[in-house]
Amino acid sequence: MSDALALLVLPFAASVVFVLMHAYLGVHVLRRKIVFADLALAQLSALGATVAFANGYPAASAAGFGYALLFTAIGAALLTLTRSLARVVSQEAFVGIVYVVATAATILVVDRSPQGAEHVKKILVGSILTVEPMDVAKFAALYAVVGFLHWLARRPLLAVSGEASPAGRTQVAVWTWDFAFFMSFGVVVTSSVTTAGVLLVFSLLIVPAVIGSIFSGKLPVVLLIAWGVGIAGCATGLAGSYALDLPTGAAMVTALAGFLVLAGLAKVLLFVGSERRQANLRVAVQAMLAVVFLAVLSSCVWLMINPTGDQPLLALVERATGIGPAQFLRPSERDAFENAARDSMRFQEEVDRLDALEKAARYQGTPLPDDEIRRIASYQQSFNEMTRGERFVQDVLQGKARTRERWIIGVPGAFIALLGLLWLARRVWPSRLSGRNKDGVAARDSVVT
Amino acid sequence: MVATALAAAPALAAMRVVATTTDLAALVAVIGGDLVTVESIVPAGADPEAFEPRPGDLGKLRRAGLLVRVGLGYDYWLDALVNQTGEQRLMRGGEATLDASAGIPLLEIRGQSIINEGGHAHGMANPHYWLDPENAIIVTAGIAEALVRIAPGHRDRILANREGFLSQLETRRTLWSRTLAPFAGTKLIAYHNSWPYFARRFRLNVIAFIEPKTGVAPSPAHLVQLISEGRRAQVRAILHEPFDPEDASRFVAQKLGVPLVRLAISVGSLEGTNDYLALFDYNVATLAKALGARSP
Ligand SMILES: [Zn+2]
Repeated sequence: MSDALALLVLPFAASVVFVLMHAYLGVHVLRRKIVFADLALAQLSALGATVAFANGYPAASAAGFGYALLFTAIGAALLTLTRSLARVVSQEAFVGIVYVVATAATILVVDRSPQGAEHVKKILVGSILTVEPMDVAKFAALYAVVGFLHWLARRPLLAVSGEASPAGRTQVAVWTWDFAFFMSFGVVVTSSVTTAGVLLVFSLLIVPAVIGSIFSGKLPVVLLIAWGVGIAGCATGLAGSYALDLPTGAAMVTALAGFLVLAGLAKVLLFVGSERRQANLRVAVQAMLAVVFLAVLSSCVWLMINPTGDQPLLALVERATGIGPAQFLRPSERDAFENAARDSMRFQEEVDRLDALEKAARYQGTPLPDDEIRRIASYQQSFNEMTRGERFVQDVLQGKARTRERWIIGVPGAFIALLGLLWLARRVWPSRLSGRNKDGVAARDSVVT
Repeated sequence: MVATALAAAPALAAMRVVATTTDLAALVAVIGGDLVTVESIVPAGADPEAFEPRPGDLGKLRRAGLLVRVGLGYDYWLDALVNQTGEQRLMRGGEATLDASAGIPLLEIRGQSIINEGGHAHGMANPHYWLDPENAIIVTAGIAEALVRIAPGHRDRILANREGFLSQLETRRTLWSRTLAPFAGTKLIAYHNSWPYFARRFRLNVIAFIEPKTGVAPSPAHLVQLISEGRRAQVRAILHEPFDPEDASRFVAQKLGVPLVRLAISVGSLEGTNDYLALFDYNVATLAKALGARSP
């Protein structure tokens, strides 16, 4: 466990640093309504790094950084320009174009110099798990500088983020502040994306800021909430990634999204008046039930239509309850089913045993001659064939069982789900139905009179 | 007049051979000599797993007199490309195509489908067989046979080229084996499972892999396990292939206090690996240096 803790401390420190900076920038990005700007800027800086690579400079060198910065500046200028162009079309459209073109250009450059591909892959996947202490220190220093500058210029920056042409500012001033914002944004994203990967950076920018904005309109409150939730989300993701053996970046993104869902639920269930809360709670429960009933209904209908096809929900229930298709087989069929399962396991064990034998002989004892290797390979191949055969037997028998289940389970299941849905419908629309009735009666009355 | 034209003809109309990877291209170049012009479809240093064919590749294939492929699903994208050319002779089993994996003693036969996750197929068997220099004997036999079938008139030259290559290979192989002999049984961790054939030939023990699945970052639990396993087994180096992100490999190497060794998995994927023999010269020397640095 201490090993794990030591492993997770640095990524956690890095994500705290990331959250502090990105959640703040995320508030700006939300106000500007260009949530994908970070992807465009990050991709442009990646393009810069690959161009540098194609010209013979490693991505980590000063020249590599210079190229990345230059391309980021071009991106900042483009985003500044498109804002004034974006009268007719939303700026997000331009942001999307910048992103796609930068990505395509990167692919073309990588095609010329394949060694740059590593950098591109790195940006895509990220590697927050293996971040180094020096990196965290560098991020902290860089973000402290950017954050301080933003604090000094907070008034004009926020005003410009709020609207495209704030009162009392000349067009040139707006352009200048826009460029300054995008440039600082680009520098931050460029630095973080090589460690955290595009997915995580995007989530860190948007999700905490959205959660903050759900609960408040005041910047300090939004920021405090965003920081708290962001850090909690990252911690949850890291812990989950360790406990469940998941890729770290993806686990963190999922955890942040989970917090967003929780925040949405909390907003409608906790942060409202008690009457409203009851109504919301009712809607939430009804929606959940409706989803369950619909899933059961469609699964049962699918079972009746195509019993031998994939039955994901049924398979899930079978696995959870331990009641397999074997229940629906005759004793002789059940024996065959169980034998097939046992045999396919045995054959796989044989394959593994031969594998271990061959692996051990690579470095100890007498080496196996080529012909012996070929013999092992052909044994393994036939064991694999036999496993496939047994699996086929299992599949056929399972299909048989499912064909019998189709009416025994499908019909009552569908019936119960339908009843449930009807009951729900009556609960959801009773007032409206009776209301229409009343209106109808009233209308008829008026016609009569 | 006629005689000179005839004599010049073979030189002008050198046989065009297309190989999917640089490794096979290098072997064809050695066996064919100046009788052939060789092109590879995947450029040197590119990742064959992440390869995306281009329109020019169709032209390359159409002009090819012989197509040499790695097989075992490694160059799985080739089938779609060949189908597009519509040339029967280039399709599987066609007279102008050679699956270089034929006759290779295959390692790590698995019962999965041919193409598994990430497009990189270790399904049928591990496909990195060219990293055992002995396997070059089998591969070049196949290449020589295919070339002779297409140009029977040049049989002697092709066979002489192969003999020359094999004697060179034998000399170098003795040298390589001698260089790596002190490290027999050495435990290593690799990023990708590229090295079973290399390990078998040079008696190395690759105990684990950093990459759980192609393109997926390792999870913390996997890294923790790797590090504790590496410590227990006293792993002496981390092998890393070019064009894969280095962070995780570097991290594990640091935690274990062992060198991170970048080896070339294909001809031309690192500087100084421009032909088949140079590939092994480079890998053997680099590995021996890294391991020797820690064992007095
Ligand atoms: Zn592989």
